[in-house]
Amino acid sequence: MPEQDASAHDAGAISAPKPFQFRGRLFTAVALRLESAAVDAGFYAALDAQLRQTPQFFLDAPVIVDLEQAGTLDPAVLPGLVAGLRARKLSAFGVQNATPAQQAAAAAAGLVVVPRANDGPLRPEAGPAPARRSSARRAEPAPPEAPAPAPGAQMILTPVRSGQTVVAEHGDLVVVGPVSSGAELIAAGNIHVYGRLRGRAMAGAFGDTAARIFCQSLDAELVAIAGYYRTSETLAAELQKRAVQIFLKDRKLCLEALG
Amino acid sequence: MTTELKQERPVGKIIVITSGKGGVGKTTTSAAIGAGLAKRGHKTVVIDFDVGLRNLDMIMGCERRVVFDFINVIQGEAKLKQALIKDRRLETLCVLPTSQTRDKDALTKEGVEAVLAELREEFDYIICDSPAGIEKGAQLAMYFADEAVVVTNPEVSSVRDSDRVLGLLASKTKRAEEEGAEPIKAQVLLTRYDAQRIAKGEMMTVEDVLEILAVPLLGIIPESPAVLRASNVGVPIVLDAPSNAGSAYEDAVARLMGEDVALRLDPDRRPGLMRRLFGRTA
Repeated sequence: MPEQDASAHDAGAISAPKPFQFRGRLFTAVALRLESAAVDAGFYAALDAQLRQTPQFFLDAPVIVDLEQAGTLDPAVLPGLVAGLRARKLSAFGVQNATPAQQAAAAAAGLVVVPRANDGPLRPEAGPAPARRSSARRAEPAPPEAPAPAPGAQMILTPVRSGQTVVAEHGDLVVVGPVSSGAELIAAGNIHVYGRLRGRAMAGAFGDTAARIFCQSLDAELVAIAGYYRTSETLAAELQKRAVQIFLKDRKLCLEALG
Repeated sequence: MTTELKQERPVGKIIVITSGKGGVGKTTTSAAIGAGLAKRGHKTVVIDFDVGLRNLDMIMGCERRVVFDFINVIQGEAKLKQALIKDRRLETLCVLPTSQTRDKDALTKEGVEAVLAELREEFDYIICDSPAGIEKGAQLAMYFADEAVVVTNPEVSSVRDSDRVLGLLASKTKRAEEEGAEPIKAQVLLTRYDAQRIAKGEMMTVEDVLEILAVPLLGIIPESPAVLRASNVGVPIVLDAPSNAGSAYEDAVARLMGEDVALRLDPDRRPGLMRRLFGRTA
């Protein structure tokens, strides 16, 4: 995909500009995995309960219906399911792991068939996975692999203030100075803070479960690795204001004092 | 030092008085620092950026002399000289009042830049009294600044807002956007400081505030009834009868000029505090 981009760009520079460009694109979608073939009142009640808990997170979220555990699902149920999801502001656009009959019904209901992709880290049986990804439009070929973290680290040598967000899209983020409450650090890799961390730190933002957060003095509002998070209320009080490293172990966020 | 400079071109330094949070003492501070600089012989102008909530002229005691204002100048309806009000007490001090009837959309970046450029030709210090918040008025007040005084009360929401403003000073200003320019020199001025409430744990300590904001301390202004009284009669606190708040502002002005002045607070009300302060910083 990058090569295509480059050649299209070069050609455009020489001749007349093209009216369009094909671009590879990565984005996050939510997979709704049916755990059984039963799409009934109980299913919708449980779904509604989940949506009520975190309404903002799912609002207009692009959703793929995963039928891996629902091979026996009657294809005729699919149009109703799609309508049910859309009525709940879930933008169902694709289907995965469907049988041929289910695929045909899904296509008729306006879903695209998405090839199996790696799952995000929230799935129990997933190994260390890159970003959840999918190709929304068939015209765009799926990018080959999630980009590997670049070896370079992004270095911030000034205080990160309330309201500021620093994102390291590749590799680590190193902050030399304090991170204020209300500030946000996001990194594909590890986060290092040489100063007091009062704001939020999200390492492994694209799913790297091996990422860690290191800080000289922990006073964070929220820490997260690959989507697993803890807020200040659930951070051990005895580790507050101490040098700490934070990592994922068996899908649990662990804190450990340094030195 | 001042006489040397006065023989040459004016210093033309723009200092913004800002805070994010309202009611912390920006306008009082603008008036006090402006008057303090003028008292030392520097030609100083204080500009009110709080369009629609004209207060500075009242604190400076010239509200009945406003004919034209900052917005009239920006929109070409009046000359700068017509809008500037000379202070009756200090001939080196001027006030550029704002409009009470317009809103902040009347401010434009080009207009502000042109007015400030003209003021730089004549004045040593241009004090911009920022409105509260972080919207257009506040952003334009800080955009062209060389230095910033961030007014903060020793309580958490004020400190957080100041921190936010320090972030904007470091990213959304001319000096931040220009390649290779020195960043704005920002200092924090702690106002409404009440040692008794701090001792009771009702307010944050100086150390806590400075640890969060991580910028130099310009001064500590004690909570004082003299501040309110001076505001009500329209006299900048440094020109009013001697008070501990007034002398704290004079010290802050001296530090703004680069002088090394030790922090002092009313000794009989605050025993042990200075020892504690210096014990920590030494």
